[in-house]
Amino acid sequence: MVNLSPNGEPANNRQHRGEVMALRKPGKLNKVKINMIAVDKSPIETDVLVIGGGIAGLMAGIHAARKGVGVLLAEKANTKRSGCGATGNDHFMCYIPKVHGNNLELILAEYYKSQVGGFSDPALATVFLEQSYDRVRDWERWGISMRPHGHWDFSGHAFPGRPRIWLKYAGHNQKAVLTQQAKKQKVKISNHFTVTDIIVRHGEAAGAIALDTTREQPVLRYIHAKSIIIATGCGSRLYPSPTPGWMFNTANCPVCTGSGQAMAYRAGAKLVNMEFPNRHAGPKFFARCGKATWIGLYKDPDSNPVGPFVSVATRELGDITGDIWSDVFTEKFKSGEGPVYIDCSTTSKDDIDYMMWGLVQEGNTGMLDYMAAEGIDVRKHAVEFMQYEPFLVGRGIEIDQHAETHIRGLFAAGDPVGNFRADCAGAATFGWIAGGSAAARAKRAAAFQDIARDPYARKRIRLYSAIMKRTIGPDWKEANLALQQIMNDYAGPHGRSATLLHAGSTYLQNLKKKTTETLKADNAHTLMRGIETLDLMACGEAIFKAAGERKETRAKHVRLDYPFTNPLLTDKFLTIQKKTNGRVQMQWRNRM
Amino acid sequence: MPPVINVEKCNACGVCADICPTDVFHVKKKKTMPVIRYPEECWHCNACVLDCKQKALSLRIPLPLMMLHVEAKK
Repeated sequence: MVNLSPNGEPANNRQHRGEVMALRKPGKLNKVKINMIAVDKSPIETDVLVIGGGIAGLMAGIHAARKGVGVLLAEKANTKRSGCGATGNDHFMCYIPKVHGNNLELILAEYYKSQVGGFSDPALATVFLEQSYDRVRDWERWGISMRPHGHWDFSGHAFPGRPRIWLKYAGHNQKAVLTQQAKKQKVKISNHFTVTDIIVRHGEAAGAIALDTTREQPVLRYIHAKSIIIATGCGSRLYPSPTPGWMFNTANCPVCTGSGQAMAYRAGAKLVNMEFPNRHAGPKFFARCGKATWIGLYKDPDSNPVGPFVSVATRELGDITGDIWSDVFTEKFKSGEGPVYIDCSTTSKDDIDYMMWGLVQEGNTGMLDYMAAEGIDVRKHAVEFMQYEPFLVGRGIEIDQHAETHIRGLFAAGDPVGNFRADCAGAATFGWIAGGSAAARAKRAAAFQDIARDPYARKRIRLYSAIMKRTIGPDWKEANLALQQIMNDYAGPHGRSATLLHAGSTYLQNLKKKTTETLKADNAHTLMRGIETLDLMACGEAIFKAAGERKETRAKHVRLDYPFTNPLLTDKFLTIQKKTNGRVQMQWRNRM
Repeated sequence: MPPVINVEKCNACGVCADICPTDVFHVKKKKTMPVIRYPEECWHCNACVLDCKQKALSLRIPLPLMMLHVEAKK
């Protein structure tokens, strides 16, 4: 049921559980203009606000709605085709007892060895594995083929002689199916509706500001919510892409820009593990995910395998070298032994067919169409692979086992979480957990809080208005490129040091100040991109500070001035939090 | 520049503009053909190609994204 909120009055007296009130097309818009931006002051009221309609957001929305509360899902694009899973996925990490046996610990150990397990709290990883099969069954029931070959097919991302934990599935239709399921559960989906800021009142999540981008000129809206779930995806566009001048050539979704981490950080939530760069690898120069879908051997130009794992690649055991040593492509290049290719020419015909089918399910039809048009045939061509730029995934918001942050009523799931990662499966499972937790919290919460007069809300609206009002100044692209070059040179994966980080942090502060004071946008689209860029700068700030604090070299956090790995910091996580007085606080804690 | 609209086939339904993850398209007026307003923001994900019932869309992959490859050695 949808009710309108007349005259922009807060609808505190008209709360009905299970309703989302005052939605996008009210009969009478109560618009006011602060400088040059329209603000619709009639608030939207919802029990649960889900920010982002990717895998985590849709799963969160479905579960919360099933618990009988009103859910508004705000998506900056369209849930049918948004986020990193827009056109598909083909690997879903999970624990299925009748396949893996009853010892979850064995599978947990395998998870830690995988490309996603490095920086997770065991408590969260355990909850994930315990519930992952339930989500597999949900998806299968809803119409995503989780057994496309008639059995539980655990293939790819696997070590020889070890348990295989990545379920091969047919995810080409996953976003459409989950969107349909969300609608069936009466989740109110608002597409082209970008949440820009979370408002915290009296230590609790109280609401958000969002940007309606359906028209040429943006309209800002207030959202009152009892629970908020951040499900905004990963953080691309922080570092330069493989192709200078083509910023959107990213393996992961280029409009997932660390906004969840930035919103949470500004709101006072803790971020964790921000200092660790994460780098993916794939075809050069067409940046794409899905390297484990390829079934071939990584080889040098003399056709020698570069990894030790397999001599013949099969659908069950491809070459996992790229998963656990994505640096191989960079290192072989730098040493003069490169480039490194993926060579599928010795893969069996059946497995090549399986691989091509898998690439469709993974969502790589754009790449396949291109390869067909260019005559690139994996049976006879070796394709060069490269290591891509760092991006944020599994680095960000700290949550507990219920997916709640340190701010009451604020939850997070999926890629923006910093102390757990399992990509698509992790998003599905923790999205579900977040939805249940947020619904329970909304049922307990008191009345809505009015955020229209919140000083922080007004400050942000003044900023967006100023950006729209300016006629001279840099656009978002200038600002984004300026950010990328600072991140690359001073907090890049090639090496960091106290002096470099100090200098880069100073330059970034200057850039952020300059951007805030001069950025201009001329419509809803460019304003959205500008806000994304400011969010990336906030993430960059946290990265600089955390990277300075971790005085050791670990994983891809390379400190040139501390080139050793400090045993005392093993299993130590670093959190960073902006306090209400603006001061940044960093704390070490044990992995839990 | 990607994507490319076949004007003979496009029926101006607007689906491509609605579902594009990166908001590459722009529809100035409903029921009119979209324009490729932000081509450099294309992710080459193929969503528009997949969802166009008229099969009016294709991607043109820019030269800098050329996929580097060689003949595999036997």
